[in-house]
Amino acid sequence: MSSGHDDGIHAAGVSKRFGSVEALSPLDLSIAPGEIVTLLGPSGCGKTTLLRIVAGLEPLTSGTISVDGLTPVSARELKRFGLVPQSPALLPWRTVEANARLLQDINVDANPSPLPDVVELLDKVGLSEFRSSYPHELSGGMQQRVGLVRAFALGAPYLLMDEPFAALDEITRADMRHLLASLCEPINTGVLFVTHSLAEAVFLSDRVAVLSSRPGRIVGTVDVDLPRPRVPELEDDPAFFAIETELRRLLHSGAGR
Amino acid sequence: MIGRLRNSAAFWAAIGTVALLGFWEAFVRVRDVRKFVLLPPSEIGSTFLDNPGFYVDNIWVTARHLVVGLSIALVVSLAFGALLAAVRPLEHASQPLLVLILVTPWVAYISSIVLWLGRGTPSIVFLVAFVTVPAFVYATVGGMRSADPAARELFASIHASRWEVLWRLRLPSALPSLFTAARFNVGLGLAAAYFAEGAALSTDGLGEAGRRAVAFNEGSILWTTILCTAVLGILSQVAVLLLERSLLHWHASQRRTAR
Ligand SMILES: Nc1ncnc2c1ncn2[C@@H]1O[C@H](COP(=O)(O)OP(=O)(O)OP(=O)(O)O)[C@@H](O)[C@H]1O
Ligand SMILES: [Mg+2]
Repeated sequence: MSSGHDDGIHAAGVSKRFGSVEALSPLDLSIAPGEIVTLLGPSGCGKTTLLRIVAGLEPLTSGTISVDGLTPVSARELKRFGLVPQSPALLPWRTVEANARLLQDINVDANPSPLPDVVELLDKVGLSEFRSSYPHELSGGMQQRVGLVRAFALGAPYLLMDEPFAALDEITRADMRHLLASLCEPINTGVLFVTHSLAEAVFLSDRVAVLSSRPGRIVGTVDVDLPRPRVPELEDDPAFFAIETELRRLLHSGAGR
Repeated sequence: MIGRLRNSAAFWAAIGTVALLGFWEAFVRVRDVRKFVLLPPSEIGSTFLDNPGFYVDNIWVTARHLVVGLSIALVVSLAFGALLAAVRPLEHASQPLLVLILVTPWVAYISSIVLWLGRGTPSIVFLVAFVTVPAFVYATVGGMRSADPAARELFASIHASRWEVLWRLRLPSALPSLFTAARFNVGLGLAAAYFAEGAALSTDGLGEAGRRAVAFNEGSILWTTILCTAVLGILSQVAVLLLERSLLHWHASQRRTAR
């Protein structure tokens, strides 16, 4: 991939209306290659909408988005996005391994070469014993791990994750964010991560953009200058709490309007 | 051993069958029912054994009519249903036709079919396929529409082609409802095949055997034919069930536990 000033995702003046509902008021956001950016904001503020616009799944009302110099739709056609939806959306008739390969098996002409090794990825997330199991035989956390592997298996330059851990209990959630950090850090993938959880935002991100309540606009951006690799012990660090506090303050300032 | 038997579905089904046959036999003998009205199972057995080849051949003929007709209906319905699932106006536009097929009694128009397609197999297979299409179409449309929206979004996010969405997502999502329709259609198709064989001046098939038995006042042959038809119906249901078990093992309906 060539490097130039086009690289990365650049959203400029992006807004979105659904009929009379203004979901997003014009906002700017950039994600550099390999950068992990989190969108944090109250429910209904347009996080999912923004993610879908970036993925080329939803047309925007105004503004421009470029993904490595491409439009979102062309980037989608070239399989540049690995999507991790909120529900794992596993296909019940496919085994764990076949589900993990799903995105590789579709639109094969746009696959990068070489493709990441699915078996190795499943091993990394601790699912190697369950390769030939079916989704209904897995716990919620395990299902979401398959969803992560499915996205990583695409070898895409960008991952788009929409509250992937929202349905999990607190302990599993913590494990999942530690796992996700360990998956993201060794590879140079840009991530746009949507969450309600302050701990997730701080632990995973290089940068956190805080959105106001509807219509969503960016009320502040916080750089997370914590050392990488991120280790679980970091969550007991005063620096971690300090950033959490700052984010909470921003969230409240955006909600009160 | 006894405990396990008591919990087995097959065991209770066998008990039920024996009880039914016993009651049937006793009822016919005690009430001295006329042969033509109802034949006791023992006499059906001996009539069958008089000429087993005749019945087995006719079962095969009717089974072939049924399978060919259902297969044609399934192929047509999958193609048609996939189209309707994709184009809503077309779905609404096709409702009158599907409802018309569903509610019009075949007795009313079978002679027109025979006039059009000629005697024998073509008319019979046509009727079987014709009457089973609506249920298959409804199942295809409903099943394909039920595909998980999150999975659809996932497919869209990597620009899956229409064909890939259809083959890898919509069709498997439609399998459960297709099997429900198949169980219904096996019964409907068998009735249509039996009736059409008798009406299409076919040379063989259970329906034709039954028609001739009535014409020649052969009560025992009629009742043996009826029971053979029932057995064919049961075997078809079992075949659908076994197929369902192997193809739908992943579906909640096939699981014993709650998850
Ligand atoms: N397809 C649509 N048609 C009409 N309105 C929509 C549509 N999608 C989203 N909206 C509206 O846009 C606003 C933002 O929705 P969105 O799903 O992006 O919020 P969100 O930030 O992801 O919320 P949550 O955190 O609860 O998931 C909401 O008010 C919603 O009602
Ligand atoms: Mg959302």
